[in-house]
Amino acid sequence: MATPRPRGSMLRWLALPIVLVPLGWLLFTGLGGDPRNLPSPLVGKPIPVFAGTTLEGDHFSSADLAGKPAVLNFWASYCIPSCVDEHPVLLDLAARHGDEVQVVGVLVSDTPDAARGFLDRYGQVSWPNLLNPDGSISIDYGVTGPPETFFVNADGVVVSRHIGPLTRELVDEGLAALGIAP
Amino acid sequence: MIPTLGHLAVLIGLASTLYAAGAFVIGGRSGDTAVLASARRAMYAAFAMVTIASLAMVASLLAHDFSVLYVARNNATTTPPFYSVISLWAALEGSILFWTLLATGWASLVLHRYRARLPALMPWVGATLALGAAFFFAVMAWPSDPFVRVTPIGLEGNGPNALLQNHPFMGLHPPLLYLGYTGMAVPFAFGMAALITRRTDEEWLAVVRRWTLVPWIFLTAGIVAGAWWSYAVLGWGGYWAWDPVENAALLPWLTATAFIHSSMVAERRGTLRIWTHALVIATFTLTLVGTFLTRSGVVNSVHAFTTSGIGAWFAWAILLTLGVALGLLIWRLPDLGDRRPPGAVVSRESAFLFNNVLFLAITFAILFGTLYPVVVEAATGARASVGAPWFNRVNAPIFVALLFLTGVGPALPWGGASWTTVRERFAIPILAGVGVVVAAWALGVRDAAPLGIFGLATFVLVVMGDEVVRGARSRARTRGEPAPVALLRLTTRNRRRYGGYLAHVGICVMSVAIAVSATLGSDQTATLRPGEAMSLGAYAITYHELVTEPLASDPRVIETRAELTLAGPQSGRIATALRDYPNSATAIATPVVRTALGEDLYVTLLSYNPATETATLRVFINPLVMWIWAGGAIVALGALFAIWPDRRRTAVEAALAGA
Repeated sequence: MATPRPRGSMLRWLALPIVLVPLGWLLFTGLGGDPRNLPSPLVGKPIPVFAGTTLEGDHFSSADLAGKPAVLNFWASYCIPSCVDEHPVLLDLAARHGDEVQVVGVLVSDTPDAARGFLDRYGQVSWPNLLNPDGSISIDYGVTGPPETFFVNADGVVVSRHIGPLTRELVDEGLAALGIAP
Repeated sequence: MIPTLGHLAVLIGLASTLYAAGAFVIGGRSGDTAVLASARRAMYAAFAMVTIASLAMVASLLAHDFSVLYVARNNATTTPPFYSVISLWAALEGSILFWTLLATGWASLVLHRYRARLPALMPWVGATLALGAAFFFAVMAWPSDPFVRVTPIGLEGNGPNALLQNHPFMGLHPPLLYLGYTGMAVPFAFGMAALITRRTDEEWLAVVRRWTLVPWIFLTAGIVAGAWWSYAVLGWGGYWAWDPVENAALLPWLTATAFIHSSMVAERRGTLRIWTHALVIATFTLTLVGTFLTRSGVVNSVHAFTTSGIGAWFAWAILLTLGVALGLLIWRLPDLGDRRPPGAVVSRESAFLFNNVLFLAITFAILFGTLYPVVVEAATGARASVGAPWFNRVNAPIFVALLFLTGVGPALPWGGASWTTVRERFAIPILAGVGVVVAAWALGVRDAAPLGIFGLATFVLVVMGDEVVRGARSRARTRGEPAPVALLRLTTRNRRRYGGYLAHVGICVMSVAIAVSATLGSDQTATLRPGEAMSLGAYAITYHELVTEPLASDPRVIETRAELTLAGPQSGRIATALRDYPNSATAIATPVVRTALGEDLYVTLLSYNPATETATLRVFINPLVMWIWAGGAIVALGALFAIWPDRRRTAVEAALAGA
């Protein structure tokens, strides 16, 4: 080209690294994420306190957990098939580790009659199930929908959360995170 | 046998596209027409190969050939034929195959149509398109092979993703969207060719405008169909959630729309030329970013069906595309200066410029909101998200300003407008807008959003109506034509302008419908026993019984229906259901939607209790929702009107070509 280039014309090439380097960093660090992995903001934090009446009419609160690891399971009788699928897994968990962890059920917008009907049909349980008619516990824990489960250590700190039905493997993983050998 | 054939076709397709790319470059440099013709034929061959591969996949799906991993994962022996066929795009590997089919289809169409025209540009257009297609063939040859086999062969497959087999719209929404996405490679290829050959004049713009509008129509229709699908299937009563993948479709749409406007200025006034090139590059890059976001597991989304190894491939493709394209643009910057001084502040070109700035502002806002979680995660390791309220709050004011410009732009003359013109053109539309706002207020509308949109939409419609009437009247006067003939000739002889107006009418219709449905709807949730009723607005809904039975079309799917009677402005027996699919942990809603011109009644079954036979229903009254879809159709029709071949002009072109 015959015409002289304007001064500083080479500077415009700086635009290239300015755009590409951050973009490249962004694209490659974002890789490898699991889209279904939605960690709860509660993980690593003390559990929100709760209190309520159980299906049996007893009082139960987070204070009753003191010093013992716990598995908080949010469920409902209408949650079919997920809650039905995980019910034997929970029964198995209580049978194997009932003396090491306290299982607590919390009903998610369900009625006592419906919940009792569910347990009559799929198996009675030994652990307390909180009624929570106003859904306040679900809200405090940021539950997206039943079933959802929180693993809580002896200090009352949430160690992990699982959305969706539990399986034996998931339970063993959760227990291992609590320091309990499966 | 058939899957092996498909795999072989993919490999031959890869070889043909690589050959085509090389031959186009060699032919482009030497001008050897025989080499160029062979390059073109290699692209046709690639299209034929991917057609064979797609047919092989469809045949495997229809035959339930579970020796193919893709079929085993996305099909079952009970899957109805229709859903078997559309499972071609139900998951990652099939989507890439389908994408490649459409991309090479567009490429072949363009190369064929321009085989005897634009001899300087076409080799580079071909080389760009061939390289793009080669990338997708390579993805199918390595990380995302659709024809991977499994042994031992299962007797039953997993079945299609439950969400995808719940509504026939799934047969429409992805193909439309993909046609839009893949078609955007054509303007990009012309943009690259123009920069490489330094033919950055108006010639490429004229071609590219048309070839942007065609995929733009598909993209528009695909986005609206997606919103409709979300409304009809997901059971939440809404149609747009600012989901990352919805955003990914909207981003190239926004930059393409900005391009359609800025290219008019570049063509007519010779300004905004760097800008116009940058928009073409941005649009194509954003289609790749869209695929990356959808398919790599980078963001959380209902659309993120699989996580796969193609993320790194797409990341490199995005970086390479952007690097080469930006490099070319920077290299050619000295050629792209304004051909004449910018227009006055109050002129049509500055309205277009503002329009472009606003489109870019929305694009950046949405890109930021979509990528913000990725940035936060990359920087701190925590996952965060930006919710729909943020997107609404940020984008609503920009959108309102855009709507205002929709009215202002077309009525302003090129170059500059005098105060008298401004007053003459806008006094009546502004008064009309204010009048409608006052009338709506008097009728009891109190929300700012619908009031503002009513006023603006009226303003825009009156401006355009005035323009059309003015034009038709002057034509009737000067040529002595009767009014209807004058109107018809005015619009059909200036299709670009009046097609654009029609698209703007569609945008006004959509805006009003969105503002009203978002603010003036109502909803209610109730748990009912059999025989009990609930009411919302003028409707009464009585719940009768729960029916649980397998679907007739696919007995592996168990449907639980709440049978209802509806009374009110619409009445009759309706049923809303939850369906349990064997491969889905959560039940899929099947809401019932009763559509009328004024409002939709939308009933969804949230949950039920088989023991007590109670059903929890959520009922929405969604006003004007069908006008969102209708508005989308008007936008697409407007664009179609704009690009419809002009018989007179085609005749002239043919005569010129023959001479």
